[in-house]
Amino acid sequence: MSRSSTNGATPAPEEKAERPETALSARAVSLGYGERLVIRELSFAVTMGQITALVGPNGSGKSTLLKALARILAPSRGAVYLDGRAIQQLPAREVARRLAILPQAPVAPEELTVGELVEQGRYPYTGPLRPLGEHDYAAIARALEQTGATAFRPRRLASLSGGERQRAWIALALAQETPILLLDEPTTFLDIGHQLDVLALIRELNRTHGKTIVLVLHDLNHAARYADRMVTLRAGQIVADGPPQEVLTEALLAEVFGVRARILPHPVDGVPLCLPFAITDAPREQPPDAHTTITSAAETAEKTVGQRAGS
Amino acid sequence: MSTSLSVRPRTRLHIGRMGMRLRADLPFAGRRFPLGLLLGGLVLAVLCVLHIATGSVDLSPGQVIAALAGHPEQPFHTIIVWDLRLPRTLIALVTGAMFGLAGAILQAIMRNPLAEPEMTGATSGAVLAAVLWLGQGPGRLAEPGTVLPLIALAGGVAASGLVYLLSFQRSSLPGRLILTGLLVSAVLRSGTSIVLLLHQEALGSILIWLIGSLNGRVWVHWDVLWPWALVALPLGLASARWANILQLGDASATGLGLRVPYARAALLFIAALLAASAVAIVGGIAFLGLIAPHIARRLVGADARRVFPMSVILGAALLLAADIAAQLLLRPTTLPVGAVLAALGAPFFLYLLRWRTP
Repeated sequence: MSRSSTNGATPAPEEKAERPETALSARAVSLGYGERLVIRELSFAVTMGQITALVGPNGSGKSTLLKALARILAPSRGAVYLDGRAIQQLPAREVARRLAILPQAPVAPEELTVGELVEQGRYPYTGPLRPLGEHDYAAIARALEQTGATAFRPRRLASLSGGERQRAWIALALAQETPILLLDEPTTFLDIGHQLDVLALIRELNRTHGKTIVLVLHDLNHAARYADRMVTLRAGQIVADGPPQEVLTEALLAEVFGVRARILPHPVDGVPLCLPFAITDAPREQPPDAHTTITSAAETAEKTVGQRAGS
Repeated sequence: MSTSLSVRPRTRLHIGRMGMRLRADLPFAGRRFPLGLLLGGLVLAVLCVLHIATGSVDLSPGQVIAALAGHPEQPFHTIIVWDLRLPRTLIALVTGAMFGLAGAILQAIMRNPLAEPEMTGATSGAVLAAVLWLGQGPGRLAEPGTVLPLIALAGGVAASGLVYLLSFQRSSLPGRLILTGLLVSAVLRSGTSIVLLLHQEALGSILIWLIGSLNGRVWVHWDVLWPWALVALPLGLASARWANILQLGDASATGLGLRVPYARAALLFIAALLAASAVAIVGGIAFLGLIAPHIARRLVGADARRVFPMSVILGAALLLAADIAAQLLLRPTTLPVGAVLAALGAPFFLYLLRWRTP
């Protein structure tokens, strides 16, 4: 179990480490809504070229931190820096050319078509008056293609399923052509198939197109599967930071989420899998048969892995 | 965890259901929009000719066109068309356009299809300022001339500023803006009522102006109106991209590089300018700012770059049509056009409500 309360950078894979000039970090930021501070004196640097998942219980400040990184929320103390300059001081459209955000519950008029929605992503480049040029239309077409949304470009948002809708919104963020993409719970409201679909798309954007991605996730197993770095927050503090294999531990789940859980290797590919079964401060022991079930599940998993490895 | 497949309740906007049902009929969305503009222009031209032709002396469209072209059938046609009716027509055309655009802007920035110019305080502020001024002496009613519009305009813009300031706490949320606007308007309207009670001798003439009327509008009024229209209409049309971004919610709009508080304040100011200068000339015409953008969205979809111009056309067309009706319905009495619009607008609104909740 390796845990650090510091925000120390996790070493990035070599080929990606040298790449981008862009850098995004929060230095000693205090964040809150009105009088209520959610985050106190937190420092955090985004690892460029990686997928970073922010996890933590409700109210731990993960969405708040993401909003500050996206310049949506101004810190009451400290500052967020983009390329060494305080983000609140930078021209708004310049920021929007380097980082895009997909908020948790985005709104749009339902009669808007997907194409019209994605077109808005060019605003950082065109501003309010300049008409869209060839390059803008090319960027829109690329964004739609990367998200597999080209087919429903002429359709209205009202007619889309949840998964299609999320693709359209991600396409909007991609049309901004930013090196950094911030996503606030992109899988909420989606069924399991579409959740994996969106997460696979995010991984594809990172691996193939080199996007730096920071996303807030509720599902720890998704975070473990898709993130290179997992940052765990509790009560506005970073309590664990590192690769999922190191961060996702039974002790952490007990301490941060207040749940008792087993961490098992996924039977198929060995990615850590967390299986919670009780609340830590529950007065009663968990029913004995529940424990049995979990043990047997673990055994089955180990067997499966063994079989696969053997075959 | 919620696993609903196709419904994301939180992202559904108020106009959600409508969008579903409207897909079939958006005749001028996308590439067909220029056709819509062209048709709209034609309709406006026809309505203008019909509007000029309407009055105590009936003219035929041919006679109107001849008089406009400088070859009148009868010499007195020139006087009727150029001196009496053309200013009224132009004022209807332009104020209708301004009400329509003001409504479209407000519905976009408040992300609420029920927003209308009244909610900025612009209408009630202009009305109160005008009534206060008119109440100062009976002589002022005799010749409203050029001062009244300026007073009304100042009142309207001041009231909108007040609404914005009161709704602003760290940021200005659309919901708070609407509520504040409604409350400020209510207070201003009660102020108007008190002034009216204190100056009952002027009640009749002021009341007509409150309802909104084009009767007796001449070139003097046009001269006060056009400079404001020339500034505010292009500004409003040019702000469509901002409105589009604001429609995506404050978080997304910020992420797209829009300074949301400034953009919203600027759009609110433009809408207030449009509404107040129109109110200053023709009075508090209700419903136009609500209906025109609604019909526009049915025709062209939700993209503000199309909704704004179409609302301009529809606002102008509706006011022209209503004013023709106002002159014809109870001949020889000419009704205040505001009353006709409200009489037609309220049922239309009920229809919209019924249609939105299947």
